[in-house]
Amino acid sequence: MAHPILQAEDVSKTYDGFRAINALNFYLFPGELRTVIGPNGAGKSTFFDLLTGRAQPDTGSIKYADSDAAPAIDLTELNEYEIQRLGIGRKFQTPSVFAEHSVHTNLVLSLKGPRGVFASLFHRLDSTQRDRLDALLKLVRLEDKRHWKAGLLSHGEKQWLEIGMLLASEPRVLLVDEPAAGMTDEETHRTGELLLSLRGKHSIVVVEHDMTFVKQISDGGQVTVLHQGTVLCEGKFDEVQSNPQVRAVYLGRGKH
Amino acid sequence: MPRLLAHLLLLLALLAAPLRAADEEQDEPAPELAAPPPDRARLVAALLAPAAEQVAAVRALVGAEDAAIEPVLTAWRAGELFLVPLPDGTRVPATLAPAAAHAPGAAPDQLVALAVADGRPILAPASTADSPEPNVRNTNIAPAPLLIASRQLRPLDTSAPLRRAIRDVLEVAGVSDPRPHVRRESIARIGQSHKTEHLPLLLARLEVEKSSVVLRTLREAVALLRLSDPDPAVRAEAFVTLGDVRSLIAAARFKEALALPVGDPSAPSAADAVGMRRSLQRIEGHWARVNFAGNLFRGLSAGSVLLLIALGLAITFGLMGVINMAHGELMVVGAYATFVTQNIFVSVFGAGSAGFHYYFVAALPAAFVSAALVGLVIERSVIQFLYKRPLESLLATWGVSLALQQTFRLIFGPANVQINAPSWLQGGATVADVAFAYNRLFVIGFAALVVFGVWLVLNRTPLGLLVRAVMQNRQMASCIGVRTTRVNMMTFAFGSGLAGLAGACLAQLGNVGPSMGQLHIIDSFMVVVSGGVGNILGTVFAALGIGTVDQVLQPVLGPVMGKILVLFAIILFLQWRPGGLFPTRSRSLD
Amino acid sequence: MSAPASLSAVEPRFFTRTQWAAFLVPTLLLALVLPLLNAFLPADSFLRPSDFTLNLYGKYATYAVLALGVDLLWGYLGILSLGQALFFALGGYAFGMHLLLMIGKDGQYKSDLPDYMVFLGYKALPAHWEPFYSFPFATAAALIVPGLLAFVFGWLAFRSRIKGVYLSILTQALTYAAALLFFRNDFGFGGNNGFTDFKRILGADLSSPDTRRWLYVASVVLLAGVFLLYRWLTRAKFGHLMQAIRDGENRVLFSGYATARYKLFVFVLVAAITGLAGALYVPQVGIINPSEMTPEKSIEAVVWVAVGGRGTLLGPILGAIFVNALKSWATRAAPELWLYILGGLFVGVVLLLPGGLVSLPAKLRAFVARLRRSGDVPVADASKPSA
Repeated sequence: MAHPILQAEDVSKTYDGFRAINALNFYLFPGELRTVIGPNGAGKSTFFDLLTGRAQPDTGSIKYADSDAAPAIDLTELNEYEIQRLGIGRKFQTPSVFAEHSVHTNLVLSLKGPRGVFASLFHRLDSTQRDRLDALLKLVRLEDKRHWKAGLLSHGEKQWLEIGMLLASEPRVLLVDEPAAGMTDEETHRTGELLLSLRGKHSIVVVEHDMTFVKQISDGGQVTVLHQGTVLCEGKFDEVQSNPQVRAVYLGRGKH
Repeated sequence: MPRLLAHLLLLLALLAAPLRAADEEQDEPAPELAAPPPDRARLVAALLAPAAEQVAAVRALVGAEDAAIEPVLTAWRAGELFLVPLPDGTRVPATLAPAAAHAPGAAPDQLVALAVADGRPILAPASTADSPEPNVRNTNIAPAPLLIASRQLRPLDTSAPLRRAIRDVLEVAGVSDPRPHVRRESIARIGQSHKTEHLPLLLARLEVEKSSVVLRTLREAVALLRLSDPDPAVRAEAFVTLGDVRSLIAAARFKEALALPVGDPSAPSAADAVGMRRSLQRIEGHWARVNFAGNLFRGLSAGSVLLLIALGLAITFGLMGVINMAHGELMVVGAYATFVTQNIFVSVFGAGSAGFHYYFVAALPAAFVSAALVGLVIERSVIQFLYKRPLESLLATWGVSLALQQTFRLIFGPANVQINAPSWLQGGATVADVAFAYNRLFVIGFAALVVFGVWLVLNRTPLGLLVRAVMQNRQMASCIGVRTTRVNMMTFAFGSGLAGLAGACLAQLGNVGPSMGQLHIIDSFMVVVSGGVGNILGTVFAALGIGTVDQVLQPVLGPVMGKILVLFAIILFLQWRPGGLFPTRSRSLD
Repeated sequence: MSAPASLSAVEPRFFTRTQWAAFLVPTLLLALVLPLLNAFLPADSFLRPSDFTLNLYGKYATYAVLALGVDLLWGYLGILSLGQALFFALGGYAFGMHLLLMIGKDGQYKSDLPDYMVFLGYKALPAHWEPFYSFPFATAAALIVPGLLAFVFGWLAFRSRIKGVYLSILTQALTYAAALLFFRNDFGFGGNNGFTDFKRILGADLSSPDTRRWLYVASVVLLAGVFLLYRWLTRAKFGHLMQAIRDGENRVLFSGYATARYKLFVFVLVAAITGLAGALYVPQVGIINPSEMTPEKSIEAVVWVAVGGRGTLLGPILGAIFVNALKSWATRAAPELWLYILGGLFVGVVLLLPGGLVSLPAKLRAFVARLRRSGDVPVADASKPSA
């Protein structure tokens, strides 16, 4: 088997006595689309926080390896923007776009490229970038609203814009937190198709609640079930669905 | 009966008098009404003795327990003691004093004679007929004091040997003074005088002295005098004694002596040096501990003041998220409320009266209520629109603070107003050489009480539950039927009232003026920030910590540099813990 | 928040033709025409601006630069710094040192040393004063000293992600501490009284109308230059990032930008430019003392911006001029009312006109439009707070 692009081993994180993540092991392989499900408070968002440098684990290691040959990089030592620059992009649970900026500017700010102060001062869009922007706008179906202030978009449109922003930075790993929340069924389905089409080029982790959506995007891929900050089970969607432990966690939440 | 009358008269007089009278009243010597001590007769006898016997009689006064000896002998030496002839032919030794204090209606240049025997004015005889001397005029009313027009009486003579005797007696008179503080001063003076001839006197006193405080001074003085004793054993014992009594004077002398170069004729012997060093170590160790304890205590009280100011802020800023730059002015409202309460008590009970001293008890609720009301008005008129715009609440409330300052100036004038501490907050107690001022003790206790009260309100009352609900999520609280507007009002008023309490307390410790609030606002914001916003416990720790560090640094660095250093320390502290001591965590992105 | 996002999606042009005109006409009028009128018209001509007026305008221009800095930080970057008066005053002090040395032996004590040093018993000029004999050095110091302080403070504050209200409180504390320091005699900068009694600048007599006119021109030119620089900054991608940091710093961080560096860059740049404005301010008012660097002064500058309209570059200039003109009028006409006026201005602008003066025309237009629509009866107050 190939070398994992993301590998988290024995990771724990405690907030004020609450064990949000508990001895978690997680491996993501290049080109994989992994779906992570779990009841509320299972530690899904905290896990993303740890992966993206927003929080540091109390124990354990989180490593990123661009290719088999490249040395593994310890992500716990890096902060948010350093991790982003490595090629790990994140879409947040609540859509977070720059509400006061136009759709177009939102994408411009997210385009892959130098991120330094002086680069931004003397930045000009070249024609490749313009084409890329047009393509992205088309992909997220916001061509007509490119001059709109992002804050005026609907919830679903904001989700799409944020996915567009994520893609604009051309990451190797996409961490997508509940992309379908607030979308119509049709939009949800389209989002699923988009994510499936990204499979292979990118390595993707999707956290989701909506089981129809999970079923759509898992499509033969692995599904990880988180419970109380640790991996309850891992496998194909059908296996996971029929796992008695998983059913107990989702249905009878009485025994903790 | 006369005592009661005198007090009543005094009270009446003071009712009309301005505030300051309270101070003067305390400086006035208490009239000597008790029976004169037995040694007084010896003093009078010495004054009336024939010139030849006076020197011996005066010298015999050494060790007499009478507070009058010192002033009378001093007056004698200065030529201000007189023998007042009475109609019956006797002559009474007396000093002269302006008549106004004793006989109402007397002309300003008239004098009365205060008899040495009892300190009371000599009364004029009942008959007005023949006055023994032309310059002594009698008044008609029987018990009135004898009025003397001018200093026509001849002062009692002194001779050179007599003056010497008086000087010698005066030098040690204080040792047997009935007032302990006079005894202490006098004994301490002798101890430092290097005059070993007084040693027997001190040793005699050592036998009879009962006051433990004076006893310590006495032992110190004796040991100091014995430092020059030729017997090394006596000196060694003196070193030990001086170490026992933690004598600072001895410490200074030891240091001086030990610093002398070897070979210096006055350098101490090797054995002495050892004794000195050992003693010095004990003394310095003790005083270092005392200083530390004193600083700690002062720091604790300074921290308590900070805490009182910051507590209100911890609620309005920490819990509600409102940057109230007018918080300092709300504190000033409390201080001025104290001032007004004091003035009301003065006009009702009179300054210095027993009732007056309880004005502060009434001032506390007055300060709380008035500041809370002003806070309520600010909340309704300005802040209620700014709950989601903290930076702008900073600006708007700064505007409010400017307007309030100007209002204070217009009402109370630009100068500081005088607030007199009630008698029960003046003075202090000394425990193991550490001075505990009552007002500081009070502030510490009061702050503890207020913290407890705030905790009770927030955690044990329905209001507290509502407050915490609203502060955590205004919209959600509103959705489940909490009247957020009301809770906001109440919370802000409560925080403002706490500022008022702080103001009332601060009025007891320092000046009260229109811009007093500005002095404290930055400090108290720093306290809340370093404690961790939204956490009352953090505020408590931060306030006490900052107050103590400030007090410990100030003697070393001076008041301004100490303050600056503390400010920078806080800035650096926030580098290490940006959320303060007790950060509040949130899972939302911003 | 209410800051307008005048962001066009296409790469924005720096200025349209109309905007160039709108910029150049007043600039030329102020920097060229007014001084010429002042210099060449007879004293009794009603067209001639008086020396006093020019001096006053020069002072306002330096204030406007200070206000522009506050706005760039607050309106665009979301940092409400209450330390801008400190940077302004530090620039003023640095240049004041030069001016003080230029007095030479013309001081009260006829000594080479500045008067206050003689008074405090200095025997010789402290070594760190020596370079301030040089005009270029002093000017550079007016830029570098505030910039350096801003760098140290900003580096510490931004790397530990102190922001919002906390940063405001910390900058205020910093300013307070610095003012306390400068108020001390033994800190070596003249204590309470600061520096004053300046005589000449670059050899020219400071009291002559000619010199003052040049100082005025320099102030206006500085203001125009700073305006252009800030305009350029806010138009570039950099400007978009500034506003993005203001609206959601964490999102920018997750987009791969080291926001702390952006903030530090702006903070230091603004501090240095503010220091330069302070350096021009001092010779025009003839004095610099610690009361110029108090937190109160900083907050006053924030009010200019709030009154004028933050998040725009015109607003701070208008606000600085308007509030200061109001101040010079009010402190003469009704001194005891000034604090009420200023306080009322704070509260009024924040509550009723969050967009400041520059938002007034739009508000009026909207108001008039609404009047037209609903006949002649006003239905709602257009100036109600929007947020």
